Amino acid sequence: MSVLRIPTPLRPYAGGAERINVKAGTVAGALEELVAAHPELKLHLFTEQGELRAFVNVFVNEDNVRDLNGVETSIREDDSLMILPSIAGGADGLQKVDHAALRTNQAFIIGLSIIAYILDAAWLAALVALVMLAGTLLKVPGFGFIYRGLLKPRGWVKPEVLADNPEPHHFAQGFGGVVQGIGYGLLVSGLAAGWALVWLVVALAALNLFGGFCVGCAMYYWLQRLNVPGFVKAPPPGTVPGARPKAG
Amino acid sequence: MIISTDLLAQVHAHGEGAYPDEGAGFLVGQLEGSTRRVLDVLPVSNERPSEERRNRYLIGPHELLRAENEAARHGLDLIGVFHSHPDHPNRPSETDRQWALPWLSYLITTVEAGEAKESCSWRLNDDRSGFVEEELEKVEKANPAK
Repeated sequence: MSVLRIPTPLRPYAGGAERINVKAGTVAGALEELVAAHPELKLHLFTEQGELRAFVNVFVNEDNVRDLNGVETSIREDDSLMILPSIAGGADGLQKVDHAALRTNQAFIIGLSIIAYILDAAWLAALVALVMLAGTLLKVPGFGFIYRGLLKPRGWVKPEVLADNPEPHHFAQGFGGVVQGIGYGLLVSGLAAGWALVWLVVALAALNLFGGFCVGCAMYYWLQRLNVPGFVKAPPPGTVPGARPKAG
Repeated sequence: MIISTDLLAQVHAHGEGAYPDEGAGFLVGQLEGSTRRVLDVLPVSNERPSEERRNRYLIGPHELLRAENEAARHGLDLIGVFHSHPDHPNRPSETDRQWALPWLSYLITTVEAGEAKESCSWRLNDDRSGFVEEELEKVEKANPAK
């Protein structure tokens, strides 16, 4: 049996308990026992995606499990566990950006553009470009209405709200819309090379959707570093320009 | 939350000293029913990399443990955190919300051009959706019993 110590700010959500005994053989199991006994703690320990929040550190004796095997770190009998949060924040001006909406947008850009290529339907590629450009002007993901109106309410896609800058994503969408639009222009001019530009947009959207890296966002931040007027936001601290920020 | 003018001045001085970076520390005190009384402040170093301290702060887990032990040694509780917002309003940001712990009071001071202006105190909602501002009562003596 191991002892898990609960930090002061979380004790009100654990019935005032300072510590509990756990039987689990891993940190993950110990946290499951804790949350099973005190469900109100779950929201403060885990993100909506089930990951340990960035500020939550679990120590097994003297070691932070983030330096060991994460939540899969084994626990031996008589080990002493402690949840010890980091304290952090700041004024950084980041906003709530729902990355699930962005991913939905990327998925539809990819899917519809590929369908356009398969059907040799340049008009469909143009429609995708128009939706992207309209979304950029409205400062929303172009196909985000599908997420907001259908996928999110039905619980098919869960929100993933991160502290982020929305401006680089708008820029990336706009850049993609322009490239796609130029591709359409080439196609209607009889140049099949237009499909190469459509596939470029597909590839960049796929890199974002599956790889978590936004090339357009990285371009925004490079322009910001060069003090180009209009590009004012710096990347979230600790985030590689273009990479997805970590959840809090 | 009740705080003496002297302790608030210490919080402000720490923010001014850290400017243009964010300064941070702990609030130590006691619970009086639904109210908290600050009886000491513990400034700490901002552990963010230097290029990130302009608009972010980080206090590592060992500092939290040290502060809790220090508070317990004096029979007190760790009741909150203070940090400054250089040239920025003293309202919690989205980053503040994502990194906030429940129950703690978050005292935020706006520091404009190196001068601390005003502080407001906030507590995270139970559903983590945002913060509620808590009344900040400034008193002459930290502990009226003394």
